[in-house]
Amino acid sequence: MKKKVDFSHLSSSPSPESAIITVAAGIGYALLALGPSLALFVTVISKKPFLILTVLSSTLLWLVSLIVLSGFWRPFLPLNSAASWPFAVLIITSVAFQEGLRLLFWKVYKRLEDMLDAFADRVLKPRLYPTDKMLIALAGGLGHGAAHAVFFCLSVLTPAFGPATFFTDQCPKLPFFLVSSIIALAFATIHTFSMVIAFNGYSDGNKVDQLFVPVVHLVAGMVNYFCLSS
Amino acid sequence: MFLVVILVAVLNSGSSSSPPTINTIATIAYSETTSDSTWDKLKGALLNALVFVVVVTAVTFLLVLLFYFRCTHFLKLYMGFSSFIVLLFLGGEIALFLIRKFSVPIDCFTFLVLLFNFAAVGVFAVFLSKMAIIVTQGYLVAIGMLVAYWFTLLPEWTTWVLLVALALYDLAAVLLPVGPLRLLVELAISRDEDIPALVYEARPVINHDQGSGEYEGQRRAWRRRRELGNDSESDHNIGTSDAEVTAPLIQNRVSSVVDGQESSVASTDNSFLEGIGLGSSGAIKLGLGDFIFYSVLVGRAAMYDFMTVYACYLAIIAGLGVTLMLLALYQQALPALPVSIAFGVLFYFLTRLLLEEFVVQCSLNLVMF
Repeated sequence: MKKKVDFSHLSSSPSPESAIITVAAGIGYALLALGPSLALFVTVISKKPFLILTVLSSTLLWLVSLIVLSGFWRPFLPLNSAASWPFAVLIITSVAFQEGLRLLFWKVYKRLEDMLDAFADRVLKPRLYPTDKMLIALAGGLGHGAAHAVFFCLSVLTPAFGPATFFTDQCPKLPFFLVSSIIALAFATIHTFSMVIAFNGYSDGNKVDQLFVPVVHLVAGMVNYFCLSS
Repeated sequence: MFLVVILVAVLNSGSSSSPPTINTIATIAYSETTSDSTWDKLKGALLNALVFVVVVTAVTFLLVLLFYFRCTHFLKLYMGFSSFIVLLFLGGEIALFLIRKFSVPIDCFTFLVLLFNFAAVGVFAVFLSKMAIIVTQGYLVAIGMLVAYWFTLLPEWTTWVLLVALALYDLAAVLLPVGPLRLLVELAISRDEDIPALVYEARPVINHDQGSGEYEGQRRAWRRRRELGNDSESDHNIGTSDAEVTAPLIQNRVSSVVDGQESSVASTDNSFLEGIGLGSSGAIKLGLGDFIFYSVLVGRAAMYDFMTVYACYLAIIAGLGVTLMLLALYQQALPALPVSIAFGVLFYFLTRLLLEEFVVQCSLNLVMF
């Protein structure tokens, strides 16, 4: 039984392309959302197995947070798309939850760092350099960003492999999937680097840095919401 | 992991084209799951799963008996024969599906010749390990994929209950003192023999700094550690239809992959892994049966939607990680199935029930966070 996604509120139109081209289009959208993350992954992260583990575990953590959020919001769904203020509440709660989770991630990371340092001392190897710490933060952020792109963009991308495409309401020339991928790309970048900034902020006790990340996250979410309601 | 992705792709092409072929499944179980009320489906599924587990237990005991009487040669022949059958018939069926779907122009005789050669080479690749390892791996992947695809043709409830039942059975068979797999493992250790099995060996990353001599030394150390009965093995047995009972026994040896880096994080990581007891170089060997059931889980998830696929994929990998950690902790034979399948099933149902509505709502309205 295949689940049908309800695209009915968008306007659709068949585009005069052959099947091959639209498979390419689908792959193009996917790469648009995930391209820089993939590049980062291949160049930086795939060389060190520990970072791969970090990416996987942070992806999992993000997924779990998403499931918890959706569990919380399930009784209120499906939201009436005419009334747009519930989305605002949705965004605010979600962002708050995820930022809290980031703090938790930081605490776990501190403990891990202590363990690693103690181990390194035992084996008479050098401790973790600041570059390494930032690499771990980068890996964590990448996991979050990739998970975001995958779950928000790639999951609804399946129809994009067919011979037609959907267009958005406000800009009737832009395909829906393109917009979705671009937003996913933006958010992936935000997630990736905000983890680095956040970890730096927490470790240096820099209040500006610490506050910068949740604010950016919230602003990005709210901007999305305003686009919706306009 | 690669195998799982390919399987999902194959499955999608298969399930969208043809209706499920229930007539081949009816031979496995003695009760049918029809499309009526939920309670009936549940009962039918439980009955199916029970029958399957009983069959698997019986076959495992038979295998233990054979191993005890040192009929290893017979076992090897039998496994070769069953892989041949799997590759030939299941491979042929799936190839037919694909040909029909993509309208590939090919005639009957060419097809038969190709298929036969494919199956024959497959048998040789699996059992004479003198071939390039990539060929062996490829064939193991193919066998796993075919068996898993065939399993997903089962009706939905049956598949899920079956997975859970097998996970429980695996747990019982390996950990209980009377369990057949544990007997098998102890027999193998006490005789210091290799269990004839379909084992997937991940390619170890050889450290370029060290010479080959040291690599040999490390492998010898690994073997010596094995003789001390110190390593962890888990075995798993699967039976498929009554005509073909493939018996991929699984060995889940503990090792870690050597990474050849000089940077501090990697070296900390390597010695860190050694510190928690995972040992030095070697290859990670994971049994084929485990792969098959992971693939069945992901394949079933694929039949619903892609989101469940991603969630289950992550869940399985997490489960594998947890299993490996437990393996390092307990230094004992551990079943590889239960943790991953538990996570996988949990995530599948959670995603299907909760996440889907949420994410679809958000992303359709382009509200992201």
